[in-house]
Amino acid sequence: MGKLINEKATVLSNENVGPRLWLLTVRCPQVAAAVRPGQFVHMLVPGMADHMLRRPFSVYRTDVAAGTMDILYQVVGYGTDHMTALPVGTECEFIGSIGRGWEVPEGARKVLLVAGGVGAAPLFMLTQQCVERGLDVTVVLGAQTKDALVLRPAYAEVLGEEPRCATDDGTYGRAGFCTSLVEEALAEAAAAGEPYDYLAVCGPLPLMRIVAGQAKEAGVFAQVSMEKRMACGIGACLGCIVDTVDGNRRACVDGPIFDAQEVVW
Amino acid sequence: MAVNMQVNLGGLVMKNPVTTGSGTFGSGMQYADFLDVAALGAVTTKGVSNVPWEGGPMPRLAETPSGMLNAIGLQNPGVKHFKEVDLPWLAEQGATVIVNVSGHSVPEYVECLQELEESPVPHAYEINISCPNVDAGGMTIGTDPRMVEEVVSACRACTSKPMFVKLTPNVTDICEIARAAEASGADAISLINTLLGMAIDVRTRRPLLARVTGGLSGPAIKPVALAKVWQVSKAVDVPVLGMGGISTADDAIEFMLAGATAVAVGAANFVNPTATIDVIEGIRSYCEEQGVADVNELIGGMVC
Repeated sequence: MGKLINEKATVLSNENVGPRLWLLTVRCPQVAAAVRPGQFVHMLVPGMADHMLRRPFSVYRTDVAAGTMDILYQVVGYGTDHMTALPVGTECEFIGSIGRGWEVPEGARKVLLVAGGVGAAPLFMLTQQCVERGLDVTVVLGAQTKDALVLRPAYAEVLGEEPRCATDDGTYGRAGFCTSLVEEALAEAAAAGEPYDYLAVCGPLPLMRIVAGQAKEAGVFAQVSMEKRMACGIGACLGCIVDTVDGNRRACVDGPIFDAQEVVW
Repeated sequence: MAVNMQVNLGGLVMKNPVTTGSGTFGSGMQYADFLDVAALGAVTTKGVSNVPWEGGPMPRLAETPSGMLNAIGLQNPGVKHFKEVDLPWLAEQGATVIVNVSGHSVPEYVECLQELEESPVPHAYEINISCPNVDAGGMTIGTDPRMVEEVVSACRACTSKPMFVKLTPNVTDICEIARAAEASGADAISLINTLLGMAIDVRTRRPLLARVTGGLSGPAIKPVALAKVWQVSKAVDVPVLGMGGISTADDAIEFMLAGATAVAVGAANFVNPTATIDVIEGIRSYCEEQGVADVNELIGGMVC
């Protein structure tokens, strides 16, 4: 984690892109340039003095040349609901870039990236990075319904092929949870004698727990992205503790990325 | 106009009247990218105990109107680690250091203080008898004048450095507790620690905190804290370190006018990492605007 900054930012756009899903684009050049895949930013949302804490968000993608950063957020409560009303031009503030990012092992050739719901956001920059490095990348996306697979076209563009998709209601791709696609990908790779060297998963806790188990079963090194309520977001308050085999760790600065085997599930 | 910002808090000379609320600032290391910790009147460190404490179960945080609940449970790596890592770093920064000391029992406070006394780095101590999130020690001591006397006297015997005692507002008469602390050798009184609070998710019917209750902090508690500071500053002769919902210079000045010699910025650090520096600069500007040559003139300066 590099030096942290607290940067003033401006909302460039803020649009509804799916069921309870919004895409926020801000101009925030220093933080945008600092973000590494898997890290997060801590947003001070204006006009919420009665809900004073900052909100942590993963970064979907950055455009360093333009000095901008995209955040895909899901409306889950007062803060995110309030955010949907932020007009273009709103001034806000971001602390960034925070925490431990994804760590694809040196020499890895083949990676499996698994995202559930809005968890597709913090895996996108990792996908870009892996593709740029010429790795063999498989992406599995799961969502409740077709309209919630909002990043599918962006992934397809980066990958040059469709990601493997599952929807809970069967409106797109495989019907049911995306864990069956993960199982198949792992089995295919094993059958071909070319197992994955790395698996990254981000999504609801039960999904991460199951996929971590699948990776362990297949003998693939896996990392997960842990989400907790946070106050300071920079390691001081000890509010966002993750139970690990080495004891209490802070989701904010010791994570948010953890080795799947570190986490006590 | 040059404003004298220096204050003397029970024998601790502070270059300005602003420190940090224990537990909201770590040992300052986490904030070093945003500010120079030596620029603060003092850094009050996260509560430290004689041995490592695991802290309480998750979830430990909840946001409430204009404030937050926490039930961290004084998680800390213990005094030995603190002496090896945090104190040398603070000394290197040139910070003025108030070490917050926690314990479950009199012997634990004493053991922790004795360890700390071996280091030249602490300039003062703040004895925490007011944490609402531990089952023994903390608030269970700070609500009983007899226990206050026992703990504070035992701590007093360990050190000749300035020693403050941090009080809980969760009592019938905080002045009685403050007088007990003063009579037992406290050089200053810190107040307030968090107010006991809770919140429930009505959909799941579960408490938002795993411990059910926690400590309420933030702007929501400021009027309560201010009244307690005013009452205690009249009840004791030793100076008062005031805290509870201070986010801005105006908030800090209110506490000084109510009787505080110095103030601590707590939960505001989570929102604005430079809140402490902003408060210091704001107090200076206020003094300049108001023609106040010495910040000490503000202490107890409420007009009524």
